Amino acid sequence: MTTTATKAKLPPSNHEFAPVIHRLEAGGAMLPDTPENLMQIIGIYKAYAVPMDFYWRDLLYIAEQVFLNPFPLFKYFLPQDSLERHNHYAGDDADLRVWRGEATAHPELLEFIDKGELKTKLPKLVHHLLHDRVNMEFAEACMRAMLWHRGMGGQFDPYLDTDEYKANADRAIRAYFQGNPPMLGLYKLFPEMFIEQVRQLSYYSNLGLFWEVMAPVFFEMSDRYDEGDITSVPEAMNFLVNGIFAVAGRPIYHHVHIRGEVYEIIPKSKGFMWLYEAALPYVEAVFYRTAPFRGTKSYNAQAKQVPEDQKDFHYGILYADVMPVGTAGIPPTLLMQDMLHFLPPYLVDYYRQHCRGEDDMLIQLGVSFQRSMYVVTSAVIQALRTALLYPLDDPNPKHLQANRTFFEAQLDRFKRPEARLGDIQSSDYR
Amino acid sequence: MLSTLIWLPMLGAAFIGLWPRLLNLSQTHWVARAIAGLTFLWTVVLIFQFDFQIGGFQFQEHLPWIEPLGLDYQLGVDGLSLPLVALNSLLIWLVLLSTDEQVPRPRLFYSMVLLLSAAIAGAFLAQNLLLFFLFYELELIPLYLLIGIWGGVNRGYAATKFLIYQAISGIILLAGFLGWAWLSGSTTFNYEVGAQVLPLGAQLVLLITLVIGFGIKMPLVPFHTWLPDAYVEASAPVSMLLGGIVSKLGTYGLLRFGLGLFPDAWEVIAPWLSILAVATALYGSLVAIVQTDIKKMIAFSSVAHMSYVLLASAAANPLSLLGAVCQMVAHGLIVALLFHLVGLVETKTGSRDLTVLKGLLNPKRGLPLVGGLMIVGTMASAGIPGLVGFIGEFLTFQGSYTTFPVQTLLCLATTALTSVYFVLLINRALFGRLEGELAYLPKVCRFEQIPAIVLTILIVCLGVQPSWLVHWSQSTTEAMVAAMAHQPAVETALNSQALVTPPA
Repeated sequence: MTTTATKAKLPPSNHEFAPVIHRLEAGGAMLPDTPENLMQIIGIYKAYAVPMDFYWRDLLYIAEQVFLNPFPLFKYFLPQDSLERHNHYAGDDADLRVWRGEATAHPELLEFIDKGELKTKLPKLVHHLLHDRVNMEFAEACMRAMLWHRGMGGQFDPYLDTDEYKANADRAIRAYFQGNPPMLGLYKLFPEMFIEQVRQLSYYSNLGLFWEVMAPVFFEMSDRYDEGDITSVPEAMNFLVNGIFAVAGRPIYHHVHIRGEVYEIIPKSKGFMWLYEAALPYVEAVFYRTAPFRGTKSYNAQAKQVPEDQKDFHYGILYADVMPVGTAGIPPTLLMQDMLHFLPPYLVDYYRQHCRGEDDMLIQLGVSFQRSMYVVTSAVIQALRTALLYPLDDPNPKHLQANRTFFEAQLDRFKRPEARLGDIQSSDYR
Repeated sequence: MLSTLIWLPMLGAAFIGLWPRLLNLSQTHWVARAIAGLTFLWTVVLIFQFDFQIGGFQFQEHLPWIEPLGLDYQLGVDGLSLPLVALNSLLIWLVLLSTDEQVPRPRLFYSMVLLLSAAIAGAFLAQNLLLFFLFYELELIPLYLLIGIWGGVNRGYAATKFLIYQAISGIILLAGFLGWAWLSGSTTFNYEVGAQVLPLGAQLVLLITLVIGFGIKMPLVPFHTWLPDAYVEASAPVSMLLGGIVSKLGTYGLLRFGLGLFPDAWEVIAPWLSILAVATALYGSLVAIVQTDIKKMIAFSSVAHMSYVLLASAAANPLSLLGAVCQMVAHGLIVALLFHLVGLVETKTGSRDLTVLKGLLNPKRGLPLVGGLMIVGTMASAGIPGLVGFIGEFLTFQGSYTTFPVQTLLCLATTALTSVYFVLLINRALFGRLEGELAYLPKVCRFEQIPAIVLTILIVCLGVQPSWLVHWSQSTTEAMVAAMAHQPAVETALNSQALVTPPA
């Protein structure tokens, strides 16, 4: 009905991605609605959610407990407390139960931490040194993208430069290094360096809190797909939109635990909201911008091969070339490797049937990940449209035109040749 | 013992070709591989039996055949022919290993490859000029068919051109051999009988005849125009054999018959031969630079690198002759590897065009092993130390410099040009982003990888431990120089003994 109404009142779009615009106007996603696409994105959400369950726990562990440890050699070794830490959106004591599963670490994650890819129980250090572990470096790369780009809107980022924040950070720094004259002396000499480190840790916390929500959302989507409750790409996208609105007000904060006391560097009372201070900056920094991938291509900045303004960066997953996955030094490679360990069987079977089967599964799941992130981006676009503009079935043509202008502006960002929006319209893009 | 190397593949060719109903296709495939494998194993046995301290022929076999014509079935192997016989057996085996079972008209293909193996082995082993000529001509039949039936779009043209050139080469050689026999008054075509009795003028005429005949086979500029067509139109396995071993018949003939039968004349024309080598090297390298077809690039590169053998042969001192033999083996291994890899690239991508290919080093979707080995092959061809190409070129240039310094330096410059065109190849084909159809290449199978891996191992091992290669031929090349009427003044600036003796 919505589709009919929209088509009746607006002429077809002349945008390069007009079919995608019309699909968004009809309540769909940027990804075509096919069972194959649905299977891929849900399978990938599940595979993503398991390492994400590690990411958010470790990010918060680093932000809150490792803090300014000058030699954080064991920051990727999650203590039992962190593994048993209750997710606020899963389990019986959840603030809002998004996933029906347990609030503690996911069983597949625990098994992987225990035995790794080798499927053998070895000391943690051995698994770590063999790189048979979750690649936390990916999570840190995402965090650094958010920190490096900064200034992407919201109140959180400007707050990091306020005197109030610096005073809070100062208290925490002095408490953390109490009885440690060399570090306190160093802090006196280079105070900004320490403050900047705390800013980074605040972004650790920001991203950890963001992913604490997303992991149960993805788990729940996977379970609902398995139960037959999610049967189309728009349904999957709408689940995300509803999830976004359900947790939009979740506070974003940064607390540090030092010798049994909690230091509120960013107190919950500041009222920073999950949607505006974490979700949107994350999507902007990680999906769209990031930075040129290291190790695959040389960029000549003087020849303007790299944009002058950071806002014009276009190296996120929505633009990423997944083909070099497997080479060294590329954050997506680390994520693909993590997801490879937790793929649902139906997706493994699917990949075996295409391209080079198991040999290039990393590439295939990278492409599936790209599809799934276009659906997440679609959900964000629809959520923004819902929050800022008009319903899709609005009877006023001017409102519909405003919606279209918004959609077209969003899709203008995919006019770049590097964007994969055109590619994902075809099932042959694997 | 030596006859096995000829008759095992020849009988195998007859068995596969003449009794097609005895075996199904799969069995035919494996029988052909087994015959080639046995031939190769027999060559290995031969190598272990060979006494490297002896400079003359070993394992000689003699059977009178048509005595009035002076044609005897007389075989022998020395340090000059042994590496080439081994190279022949190895490449034939690798070619059959890498041949897809789906090759069209498989029985004819296998029998022709085995027949070619027998003919080339016969030519290298023959101690009788007429017997050599027979085998030299015999290899034309399978090669013509291999190019003409399993070649590319213009295979008919290429095969016919190849046949015409090689037939002319054969006629010229026959004339030279007959002239040698008649003028020397020999009643036999056994070339161990000396020709020193011939006056210098006669030697010059006969030697120039042989240079032209074998120059077509190598090929030398300006007799090379059959090569681009034949190498490019031939299928990859046939190109491996053409570049890897067939072209060596030309350089082998020059060394064995040109230098061996006419040493006085050789000394007279040696400066001109060295100039011809420079012209060929420069021409081959410069033309290779402008190619966009990888196979053509390698073909012209092959022309350039074969000219180093001519340069070393012209210098004719112990070190340069050793370099010539090493360069023949090194070039055979390298060019076979490169043609095999190009064949794989063409099979998987459907193209050899450098304006189309890119990103093949992609680790997951590209052809990383092929690309990686191609880099090794091109490095070896460019004479990078640690690889066998360096050994051949170093000995060649070191040996030749004392005799022809200017020509040697010019040839040395062409090795820099080798780096130029191969860097172009690598940069265009291997780097960049996989796009479009290239992003969905089929993977390379194990049986396709084996020849490339075997050749690469040999290229590296012989590069790291060159004494394994040079001690095969050292006695023979020293004997060849000693057999010349005069001892060369250029006993080499380098202590060849020290070079080839492995460290204690």
